[in-house]
Amino acid sequence: MSSKEEEYKEMFLSEALQNYEQLNELFTVLEKDKDDTEAIDSIFRITHTLKGNAMGMGFEAIAELSHVMEDVFSEVKEGNIKLSKSLFDNMFKANDKLGTLIDALTTDEKVSYKGILTKLNVILRKAREKNQPKDEAETPDTNEKIKGTTQEPVVPETESQPEPEPEKANEPQEDTVSETDTSTESGKKPFGKLGEMTARLFKSTKQSEEETDSDISTEPEPESSVESTQPVSETPMETEEVENEQSPDIVEEEQELPEPYFENNVVEEEVEKVVEEEKDIEPEEEQVEEEDEIEEKEVEEEIEEESATQRKIAFSDVVQIPIRKLDALMNQVEQLIIERDRLMAISDIDINGRSNSDFTSLQRITSDLQYSVMDVRLVQIGFLFKKFHRVIRDVASIESKQVSLVLKGTDVEIDRNILKIMSDSLVHLVRNSVSHGIEDAQTRKQRGKPEEGVVTLNARNEKDNVIVEISDDGNGIETEIIRKKIVEKGLLNKELADQLSENEVLLYIFEPGFSNAEKITEVSGRGVGMDVVKRATESIGGQISVETEVGKGSTIILKLPSSMAVKGALLFLLGKQEFAFALTYTEAVISLYKHEIYMINSGLMCKYLDKTISVIFLEDLLSMDCLDEISDEGAFHNTYHKIEDDQKLDVIVVSHSDRFIGIVVDKLLQQKEIVEKTISKPLDNVKLLTGTTILGNGNVCLVVDAAAIADILFKSTNKSKIMEMV
Amino acid sequence: MELETHNEVLKKSETNGNAVTDEKILLIVFKLGESEYALSIDQIKEVVLTPRISEIPQTPPYIKGVANIRGTVISIIDLEARFGLKSKKEKAVVDESNSVEEEEESSNYTLVIESDEYKIGILVKEVPNTFSVNRSEIDSSAGIIRHSSLDENAINGIVKIDERMIILINILSMMETGGLKTTNE
Repeated sequence: MSSKEEEYKEMFLSEALQNYEQLNELFTVLEKDKDDTEAIDSIFRITHTLKGNAMGMGFEAIAELSHVMEDVFSEVKEGNIKLSKSLFDNMFKANDKLGTLIDALTTDEKVSYKGILTKLNVILRKAREKNQPKDEAETPDTNEKIKGTTQEPVVPETESQPEPEPEKANEPQEDTVSETDTSTESGKKPFGKLGEMTARLFKSTKQSEEETDSDISTEPEPESSVESTQPVSETPMETEEVENEQSPDIVEEEQELPEPYFENNVVEEEVEKVVEEEKDIEPEEEQVEEEDEIEEKEVEEEIEEESATQRKIAFSDVVQIPIRKLDALMNQVEQLIIERDRLMAISDIDINGRSNSDFTSLQRITSDLQYSVMDVRLVQIGFLFKKFHRVIRDVASIESKQVSLVLKGTDVEIDRNILKIMSDSLVHLVRNSVSHGIEDAQTRKQRGKPEEGVVTLNARNEKDNVIVEISDDGNGIETEIIRKKIVEKGLLNKELADQLSENEVLLYIFEPGFSNAEKITEVSGRGVGMDVVKRATESIGGQISVETEVGKGSTIILKLPSSMAVKGALLFLLGKQEFAFALTYTEAVISLYKHEIYMINSGLMCKYLDKTISVIFLEDLLSMDCLDEISDEGAFHNTYHKIEDDQKLDVIVVSHSDRFIGIVVDKLLQQKEIVEKTISKPLDNVKLLTGTTILGNGNVCLVVDAAAIADILFKSTNKSKIMEMV
Repeated sequence: MELETHNEVLKKSETNGNAVTDEKILLIVFKLGESEYALSIDQIKEVVLTPRISEIPQTPPYIKGVANIRGTVISIIDLEARFGLKSKKEKAVVDESNSVEEEEESSNYTLVIESDEYKIGILVKEVPNTFSVNRSEIDSSAGIIRHSSLDENAINGIVKIDERMIILINILSMMETGGLKTTNE
């Protein structure tokens, strides 16, 4: 079984177990107070959900049993079956069997359930015979369907059979449908979601849940479209009836919650909140059991004693945690780390050597703790990737192209928050690949390529980073066209544009307002996009680059940190203040004498390896009152003129978008893992800095934004070049 | 708004039998330059010794930078610089050497002000005092405010008692309305 299916199964199990426990509770409540219509409705709803989920997963036994239970309660609702003691005995038995069946999914035991199934069917048949004597044909039909389970096609007779009940209710139904769906939606969300997912698992990838969702809210027979793709067939009429009948009651139930269920509903709300939060990357929720499950269990235990059945109480192996709780936990761990560093710094000063070993175990434990918490936040990137089947399909159909999506490295793990930030960007990149990259079928044929284009999403780990590549086998990017655009848009004049290397030209696609689309289409070409993608990537300390070969295709490469919580940083001093660069941007540290740095135009240059790179004194940049001063004459020369000729300088070489920049600092300190915090309001709009961190000595260390410096420098040199040309 | 809610609380807790029909307001009074300024006490979270401040580039001179206060990095603002209240002697010192220490010595305490969204710190030289006034003693008539050199939205009113004149300011509304800019555009 693939890991994905395993995951779904795990989710199903925890939900099913939850359903089973709720049912147990509800039956007991109902037995005490037989007029509790809300309990009846809840039972009905839960069995219905369970049935749906089980069908989606292909667990026929559970589906069958819960289906019959649902049917029984549908009759109970109608008043066709009396809530007698024997009925409860049977229902409890049925529910126990349900629990055993759920357990059996993990143990692979064989569980016979036909006995209770038949018993319930008999009850059902009796009730129906009694209440619908004229409608004899229906009973065997239903029965046959239930018993026989599965792949039978819909029996046409059933469909056309006049059903007295729904007929009556038909008119009000029309109105309640929409209302119902919103309410059941919210009411069933935690379950319904799994349903969606399992349905997706068994559906062709092209049909997404959004489609079915929208169907549900607009058409009166939505279920059928969902169900039909699932292994168990069902008469549409019945489903419809079921859906519609339950609706008003559920609305009611949502509004006034009976006390015993209060707890559950709170939890549901909580889960919903999480769901809301995760709308963007919807299918990634870690699976589930409530935090106050224990309390629930205690209630359960009492019930168990009452019903005097000797059974083990089932616990799910999965706990669901809202993201905000994880964030809070992470925060506390970060504070602990800062405090640890502070203590270690103190002891470093006071007593040397030996005492430090006192801290080694503390350090190890806290680091482990930190990584464990980080690990909890990691999700498989496949969660996001697999949503792109739909994205591709949509774009391809708009553009009338044939495109398939290949996913690689879906099991690579990455921080959930990073996925959330990057999801929009990835959508944009994938759409771009289809829209700009892949040619139409005819052109592809002429070029000797297969008619169907391929977009590949590939993820892999590289050191502490996750590399995500979005590649297509399409047109590639023609640098000459971009060169022309650069000139047209007035970013550079022709001479300068011609001087740019291929790579430098490609970087211009990430400039704001630079759209390469020949025409504006629905999909892309609005000129917002690549620069937004770049900004998003850099906001989390990532990097973006592009490789292309004309006629063969292009690849966008995103280098993302696997976790946002901790990042490696290079600490240095400037004046008396500590600063840091994120290690993802630092390429090397070199030592230069002043005479090895040359003044060129408005800037400074030095040799690094076999390249000539720009050099900047960070002091010059940070001491500016306003960033506009970079265009002032000699703005980058101030410190250079001040220093002595024989002074040795610490230079950090940062690389950004394939450009290297030497940044002169006063003194290098150390390499360190830091917990970076963004600068809070009101200073949140400061450029040049990405955030701050608190050092062991309590000082605030400012994290310098290498990407911003590279951009500023790049733009200013271009500007001055243009000025000179003019 | 905050002031009013606070006053209600005060009113209820007023048990000293003064039998005031007038509402009492508790103010935190501090000196900026030669004058006395005040903030409503419920805006103030704490008063701490000013920690080391890290300067932030490309900010106005009255944004001193950020500092670590109880594990949170918060922005530190020098209202004297904002209001142009630096005494001439101090100005000379600042002009001569821009070193952080010199200024820190003269601004030993930081008032931590908390809003819903963020905290900011305000530098003061002396430990601030609390001061209780009747609401009616606060003159918030438009005339006074208009004739002061400060922005209209920065001042809630003026308290005149005996020889003292205390200017009641509202930092948070200054932040919101752009009275305190945080970047040099």
